[in-house]
Amino acid sequence: MLEIKCPYCGKRSQNEFSYGGDASLKRPQLEKEISDKDWDDFVYFRSNPRGKHSELWHHVAGCRQWFKVLRNTATHEIFKTAKINEEL
Amino acid sequence: MDQNFRIDKAGYINRNKKISFKFNGKKYFGYEGDTLASALLANGIHLVGRSFKYHRPRGFIGAGVDEPNAQVQLYKGAKTEPNAVATLVELVEGLEATSQNCWPSVSFDFGAINNLLNKFFPAGFYYKTFMWPKNFWYKIYEPIIRRAAGLGVAPLKPDPDRYEHIFEHCDLLVAGSGPSGLASALAAAKNGARVILAEDKSRFGGSLLTDEVTIGNKKGKDWADDTITQLKSMPNVIVKNRSQVFGYYDHNMLVMNERTKDHIKDPHKFTPRQKLWYIRAKEVIISTGSIERPLVFGNNDRPGIMLASAAKEYMKVYGVLVGKKPIIFTNNDSAYDTAIEFKKNGIDPLVIDVRANSESSAIKEAKNLNINIKFSHGVINTKGYLRVSSATIGKLNSNKSSYESLENVSCDCICVSGNWTPTVHLSSQSGNKLKFDEKTDAFIPSQSRQNETTVGSANGIFSLKQSLDEGFNKGYELSNKITGKNSKSTTPTSNEKKYGSHEKFWCMPLPKNKNYKRFVDFQNDVAVSDVELAVREGFRSIEHVKRYTTLGMATDQGKTSNLNGLQLVSNIEDKIVPEVGHTTFRPPYTPVTIGAIVGREVGKYYRPTRKSPMHLWHEKNNAVFVDAGLWLRPRYYKQGKETLFEASKREATNVRNNVGICDVTSLGKIDIKGPDTAEFLNRVYTNAWMKLPVGKARYGVMLREDGIVFDDGTTTRISENHFHMTTTTAQAVNVLAHLEYYLQVVWPELDVNVLSTTEQWAGVALAGPNSRNLLSKLFPEIDVSNESLPFMGYKEGSLFGVPARIFRISFSGELAYEINVESGYGIFMWEKIIELGKEMNLEPYGTEALSTLRIEMGHVAGSEIDGRVISSDLSLEGMLSKKKDFIGKRSLNREAFLNPNREKIVGVVPLDKKTMIPEGSYLVKDSNATLPNPKLGHISASCWSVEYNNPFSLAILKDGKKKIGEKLFALSPLKNKNIEVEIVSSHYVDPKGERVRS
Amino acid sequence: MQKYSIFSLIKNAFSNHQNWEVAWKDPTPKKEYDVIIIGGGGHGLATAYYLAKEHKINNVAILEKGWIGGGNVGRNTTILRSNYMWDANGLFYEYGMKLWENLSQELNYNVMYSPRGIINLAHSDAQLNTYSRRGNSMRLNGIDAVMLNRNELKKMIPFADFSSSARFPIFGGLMQPRGGTARHDAVAWGYARQADSMGVDIIQHCEVTGFDIENGKVKGVQTSIGNIKAKKVGLCVAGNTSLLAEKLNMKLPIESHVLQACVSEPVKPFLDHVVTFGAGHFYCSQSDKGEMVMGGDLDGYNSYAQRGNLPTLQHVLSEGVAMFPNLSRLKMLRTWGGIMDMSMDGSPIIDKTHIDGVYLNCGWCYGGFKATPVSGWTFAYTIAKDQVHELNSKYRLNRFNTGHLIDEKGVGTKTWIG
Repeated sequence: MLEIKCPYCGKRSQNEFSYGGDASLKRPQLEKEISDKDWDDFVYFRSNPRGKHSELWHHVAGCRQWFKVLRNTATHEIFKTAKINEEL
Repeated sequence: MDQNFRIDKAGYINRNKKISFKFNGKKYFGYEGDTLASALLANGIHLVGRSFKYHRPRGFIGAGVDEPNAQVQLYKGAKTEPNAVATLVELVEGLEATSQNCWPSVSFDFGAINNLLNKFFPAGFYYKTFMWPKNFWYKIYEPIIRRAAGLGVAPLKPDPDRYEHIFEHCDLLVAGSGPSGLASALAAAKNGARVILAEDKSRFGGSLLTDEVTIGNKKGKDWADDTITQLKSMPNVIVKNRSQVFGYYDHNMLVMNERTKDHIKDPHKFTPRQKLWYIRAKEVIISTGSIERPLVFGNNDRPGIMLASAAKEYMKVYGVLVGKKPIIFTNNDSAYDTAIEFKKNGIDPLVIDVRANSESSAIKEAKNLNINIKFSHGVINTKGYLRVSSATIGKLNSNKSSYESLENVSCDCICVSGNWTPTVHLSSQSGNKLKFDEKTDAFIPSQSRQNETTVGSANGIFSLKQSLDEGFNKGYELSNKITGKNSKSTTPTSNEKKYGSHEKFWCMPLPKNKNYKRFVDFQNDVAVSDVELAVREGFRSIEHVKRYTTLGMATDQGKTSNLNGLQLVSNIEDKIVPEVGHTTFRPPYTPVTIGAIVGREVGKYYRPTRKSPMHLWHEKNNAVFVDAGLWLRPRYYKQGKETLFEASKREATNVRNNVGICDVTSLGKIDIKGPDTAEFLNRVYTNAWMKLPVGKARYGVMLREDGIVFDDGTTTRISENHFHMTTTTAQAVNVLAHLEYYLQVVWPELDVNVLSTTEQWAGVALAGPNSRNLLSKLFPEIDVSNESLPFMGYKEGSLFGVPARIFRISFSGELAYEINVESGYGIFMWEKIIELGKEMNLEPYGTEALSTLRIEMGHVAGSEIDGRVISSDLSLEGMLSKKKDFIGKRSLNREAFLNPNREKIVGVVPLDKKTMIPEGSYLVKDSNATLPNPKLGHISASCWSVEYNNPFSLAILKDGKKKIGEKLFALSPLKNKNIEVEIVSSHYVDPKGERVRS
Repeated sequence: MQKYSIFSLIKNAFSNHQNWEVAWKDPTPKKEYDVIIIGGGGHGLATAYYLAKEHKINNVAILEKGWIGGGNVGRNTTILRSNYMWDANGLFYEYGMKLWENLSQELNYNVMYSPRGIINLAHSDAQLNTYSRRGNSMRLNGIDAVMLNRNELKKMIPFADFSSSARFPIFGGLMQPRGGTARHDAVAWGYARQADSMGVDIIQHCEVTGFDIENGKVKGVQTSIGNIKAKKVGLCVAGNTSLLAEKLNMKLPIESHVLQACVSEPVKPFLDHVVTFGAGHFYCSQSDKGEMVMGGDLDGYNSYAQRGNLPTLQHVLSEGVAMFPNLSRLKMLRTWGGIMDMSMDGSPIIDKTHIDGVYLNCGWCYGGFKATPVSGWTFAYTIAKDQVHELNSKYRLNRFNTGHLIDEKGVGTKTWIG
């Protein structure tokens, strides 16, 4: 079971969290022209790396904050976690 | 005949407590502290089971977790346990065990015919045959094979026992209480670390229980006992026996299973059978010891043939002789201890040693005791069907490829030793890349990936002194790293025998023209010839060999066979073992009871049950409940002998004619506050929200980013910066997470806060023409007229002193209101409404009537919003704002979504006005078309329209709006239904929506 | 090639099984192939087989970085079915079922296709209605399906929780009688053996590290044992697809997730069918060895590690015990994990790519095993003809741009919830 350090609450076991996918995806700005391809890339296409992966987690059974995690998808090692407005 | 093989005085059993038990229906005695295995052996019983494939008679190989053969069925009925390992079952008064996989009995088993035919059943034979004729596999061959499958018999009743989970954190977890484990735990504990020491067996001490050693001038066993006493007295230490650490998971999470009940004679009824410990350890010491390897020779599987270490353990721990005419067969020195132990108990062993010579202190001691040793000899074959009775031994020639002379020696047991395999399972599970150690001829840990350290014989260290040193040092180092303290314990002095090295020879060659089965994996009957065949057929990868032959896939998971299998493949392929590699070690180390993994989430408690504050009232008033996610909601309130259909019709009719009350507490409720809330809602919903006045509600639809409809509901502006959102019951949790995601991740600049208040409010819907009248009685001080509280209006009031929120919203399509009060007042509200509503013919209605009402009004719900539709499919395209952007809008430009012939929601009425159309039926043009019959749409929801007194359904139909007035067929092949239908508007009742505004 | 039969088995018994030939050779790769299939799993092996058999393209190599059959074809719960709602899926998998029915004879290798019936339990009327929608769709597509009521189920699986203490009582179920199981390893080995006999080179321990592309056309691949030329290259690497696609500058609508499965100790058979739990995500069958074969949810985060964590198994097994309370006293013997190529709509991709001569087969989520024959068959067609077959015409990559998605479960792009 992963142990994830919530930037607000500290280390907690994985079962307090839910996963939120690739954190490198940036939702395009509202009201801004965007090509079909760029939009579809945002909605469907993923880099899906083996190794370092920045991803979102949500402390659902805790402070309910979303935050960022840098994790190795091959070993599950977590290098770092950060608040949304912080750099990983 | 009572315990003829028990030695006087030896062992750690309690001879004052005699215990009776049954094996295969016969009564026997043993002592407290025995295992089922030791008690059976004390009674001279070796034959306990039959092998999986050939049904060969089998006895005990080991004395612990490595045991491949001695699996028995315990007890009967719901309490029965298949595949219990006799070497692990502690003897308890009244224990009942029977042999498995044999009929009619273990000594005479018809299945043994397979053994006679074993020539025709080599590895993988089933892949090569049973293919003709085609249907015979499933109809004939497989049923026969399945009849022979399995070992024990599964209970068919629910498990009467309970299992618990514990979560624990510690600085250091020590797995295994042998000398290195005890040393580590002691050193770390004395240095202030929080330590958990776990021992799988009932007794602590590991090898100290059986080895003739001294530590600090005490006998090894006494030092172990003293150390345990000391550890138990320390507040920073948890000491657990009967507790196996079986899995090493990510981030130093280890899982330990503690056996808490089965060994107790009259346990309390609430004693859990097992406890599963989730342990998050900062550091882990793996001191799991090692397992002896068997030697491989002809018919090496007969009852009476076992590991030398097991024979020693039975003598030293249980005071049991495994035989009175023993042969000790070895390629190393450790087995000499077994020979010496026999000799000390007055039994003359014969030692067969494949080595030409050895000069260690152990051998000198054996020689001094006049033990007969034959060097350069091997056991070639054995005889004795139900128990080994003799061995053919031979002098090995110089290159050990054949024999110079053969002789038969009678015996009643053969104790074998092929050297030791470190137990590296936990290290490997942790991600440690193992390396092959030439000295031990086995894999040992090398590079740690998590915070784990392996010590003692699990690390390939077989000297006591080194193990203790390593344990004390590592225990100190790791505790120092965590606690920062410097209290170092010194390693006590120790004395032990000196052992020489083993010879890397473990598989006896066959004499010319002999074809003896030489077993590598006992339980699955995998012999040398099977491994050779696999390699011959090109299954060269060790994983292929494992899968093709099933080597190491039995319930013992190859603890005694994997390494021998590897050696064999490397010999055949002429490779070195590390090139062949090893198969993956995966949790669990030994099989774990599924109930223990599940814990308390069973039966009614499998998942939480959510109930509204009015639940008891519903129960008292004959509500029949329905699961709505985790919620229990009244489906209908049964009167007399009413059916669901009758009751829901009555309830719905009453809403249309009078007034009904429905518990809507389960709807998701989200409190939203902040100056940017309107802007936020404007982005989240497809329609416009900026101009919603205070005191007004609005219906909204949310999309996912891929354009698919996500959820719908109403949101009310309570005050300038305060909104109350409702969601569907099903999506409540997901909508909240969705809102939090956009607020925190995407638009952190918006000053908005969201909070779930689903459980804070009890909610009721009042619906029907009398609802305003009723409302005025509930809130006499409020003007509830249509002008003052119009459709989509909102007011706050006092319900007989209880603050209440009144929303004029409607799901039923009738004039309707929803009232929310704080949950604690829910039942007060409900009862008050029931009381005041009597004169207006108020009746409660459940979800079934609710469905009827919404279906005939054409309101969409979960059966239409199924995660696959877009707004226009539901005729909600009018709610897609063209003036602003919102979540998912950009996706609506896709070709498939712009198709003008897409599905549309429509109404469907059977032409006969009588036949209900089953939900899940499909609409087709031609009911007799050849298959696949093109589908035009499907029936999403059906009801009996109480307005028109005929069936009515909603459907999602291709190009639906253009098909209104057309006649199609609704087909439900599953229910054998073919119904001619007419397509009508989805708004069947009150299409202009006059009632809700009346 | 030696023919396998009861007669050859008896004959060989008398020579102590010394004369069996290798099931497949271990050749050194040639300099050039007409087609290279990357990935020696079930789909790759099947593709090579059908290329040789159906399209007479025999100059084919399968490049496998480990050992063949070591990926998901050897790590699944062996379930076969075509009980899908959407036509694109139903018709595709149904063609697959027809291939399964003759596979043992066709491959001369007993893959133990066993149509023991797959039952999806429903725990409410609403769920029964959703299942009806699927079952009726199957029937209208010519696929077998029947509805079972509670009493019928009680007779078939009496040990399921029909008691009043069930949290989610059993209301009924949807059954596909022809659904069932097959022996997973045998499928890989059977395809390998036949493909090998038709001239396909199976090259193990050969990892593809790059592609040679000239002017938008593939010329060959770079591997751990040297470069190999090829006119066409097909990707069949399941969970690792994104990694190879990256070398082609492609991003895919795929995430890799770990799915765990486990087996109990073997017990005497008591469960004949494959049964799935409707108030959770759990499926269970009993193997011919007697082991209960069980699986359920993903661990729920991107992963390339072929192992998972216990809480997921705890969750999955709690569903198992809720369905069959008697499982509680059995012991879990072995657990393992596989990497699933989770596509964004839950359906696979079998298509050409923007590079001439490179073909894509991926997105199988956790349903790839049952697709092995039909995936290989259609992929071979697409490679041989450079066009999609009608059966995989809905499985094109551009559906993520056109919106013609095939979302069987309606959960959208959150693949980890799937």
